[in-house]
Amino acid sequence: MTNEAIIQLKDIDVTFHNKGQTVEAVKKVSLTVNRGDIYGVVGYSGAGKSTLVRVINRLQKPTAGSVDVNGQDILALNSHDLREARTKIGMIFQHFNLMNSRTIADNVDYPLKGGKLSRTERKEKVAHLLDLVGLTEKATDYPAQLSGGQKQRVAIARALANDPEILISDEATSALDPKTTSAILELLKRLNKELGLTVVLITHEMEAVKEICNKVAVMEDGEIIERGDLVTIFSQPKQPLTKDFINTATQINQALEKIYRQASTLGLDDHHQLVQLQYVGATTDAPLITELYKRYEVVSNILYGNVEILQDTPLGNLIVVMTGEPDKLKAAWQYCQDAGITITHLKPKKPGVA
Amino acid sequence: MGWFAKYFPNAVTMKSDFIQATGETLYMTAITAIIAGILGMAIGIGLIVTQPGGILENRIVYNILDKFVNLFRSIPFVILLAIIAPVTRIIVGTAIGTTAAIVPLVIGSAPFYARQIQNALAEVDHGVIEAAESVGSGPIAIIFRVYLKEGLADIIRSSVLTLISLIDLTAMAGAIGGGGLGNLAVNIGYNRFQTDVIFLAMLIILVIVFIIQLVGDWLARRVDHTA
Repeated sequence: MTNEAIIQLKDIDVTFHNKGQTVEAVKKVSLTVNRGDIYGVVGYSGAGKSTLVRVINRLQKPTAGSVDVNGQDILALNSHDLREARTKIGMIFQHFNLMNSRTIADNVDYPLKGGKLSRTERKEKVAHLLDLVGLTEKATDYPAQLSGGQKQRVAIARALANDPEILISDEATSALDPKTTSAILELLKRLNKELGLTVVLITHEMEAVKEICNKVAVMEDGEIIERGDLVTIFSQPKQPLTKDFINTATQINQALEKIYRQASTLGLDDHHQLVQLQYVGATTDAPLITELYKRYEVVSNILYGNVEILQDTPLGNLIVVMTGEPDKLKAAWQYCQDAGITITHLKPKKPGVA
Repeated sequence: MGWFAKYFPNAVTMKSDFIQATGETLYMTAITAIIAGILGMAIGIGLIVTQPGGILENRIVYNILDKFVNLFRSIPFVILLAIIAPVTRIIVGTAIGTTAAIVPLVIGSAPFYARQIQNALAEVDHGVIEAAESVGSGPIAIIFRVYLKEGLADIIRSSVLTLISLIDLTAMAGAIGGGGLGNLAVNIGYNRFQTDVIFLAMLIILVIVFIIQLVGDWLARRVDHTA
């Protein structure tokens, strides 16, 4: 990761006119992606994420704004130069979009047709690309014979045929099962490391972002409502939607729902408080629970615990019932806050987002 | 051949007529197929690329092509034969005969084929087109390397359909002296009450249609890798 911007979108507007209806799919969005980033763009369907990233290779022409990719003003290019620029921006899709009439090798070879390489050079290149995605033995098969994960690997190999510096992944794992999703994400991460490939990953699953991205932008109604590096977003989300995405990814929402459903059995009162503790990085290692008991005689009953490792930084979440004298409890919370732990008081009577 | 003479008493004496008529039918079909094939393919591709959302979207061109196809498809072929006669005279030099029949046949079948091609190419997944655009393919590459390649199985199936309906049209060419098996069946078989002549002409047409269908299906299966 460097600080050199490779993609710069400025004040992008995309407005669709359809049968007298005007839809503002993207509103005044600016986005900067640095070389070597794996930048996640998260949002529910209809948030405008696909439309936004299609602006990068001008598959979608923006209504207003400027697009700079690798120092080139994409919107100013004529059609020939645009095609040339597109060869350096790979793209993969949710439904793979392979050509059924071509073999796997021929699909990967497609972007090289009409290029500068000789037939033998192309053959070598295709073999190398298939090796890169681990599909060498499927070269003569047709897409219909492959599984979803294998098809996406072929699509990745095709997208990389012209040695692009950028790969746009448009919901590329959304049609895949969780295990295959992880494998594809691992592959993207490997390509990012080995080839220095900059990846823009669009998804509605925070899990995917959590696994490989170093930066995230959250989109809602055509706008980026929150953005930042992964650990910051995960540890200090500000917008409700971001929190919702994160809690779903860390399964805290599911845990809370269960806890709230049987809140009466917890016997909560002034002496028994339900809280969520969240800690980032080194604080994870301190024996917090023991410390709280030793210092304040506060007993913590752990209902749910989760530790995520994001970009090599641990991020922990605990949901506990703390039992103790009210003033001791307050002191205990103060102690936690001083130790860099975020405390959220949970009130079971209002079930919902923590 | 005793049974043949028994069941086809009139046809058996008309061997050379049948050979000539079969030749005329095949000649009209083949030449028309080539010309209408190229024209129809071009118009069909034109429709698909200029349609709203197409890779060379152009409302004016699309509307012109679309109306042109609709117009000529709505004229009954027998009427077209008569109406087009002056044009035929300019192109071929005469409005009568087998070669003269090719002009109305082309005009009658090219728009039909264009629609068939348009439908076949419309089946090509838009996502695949987008993927091709994303790797830097231009319109020409997308037409030849994506549309025609991905749509090939359907194109073959539509071509079979068009060829068979073209044979159907050649049967009417007799009306302007075009000859062919249809003409033989009507002018000799029907008018002289020689039912066996009608029957044999029909059998020969059936065999031609069957062969086209079989070869077409085989080809389409060979290039189809979707399942």
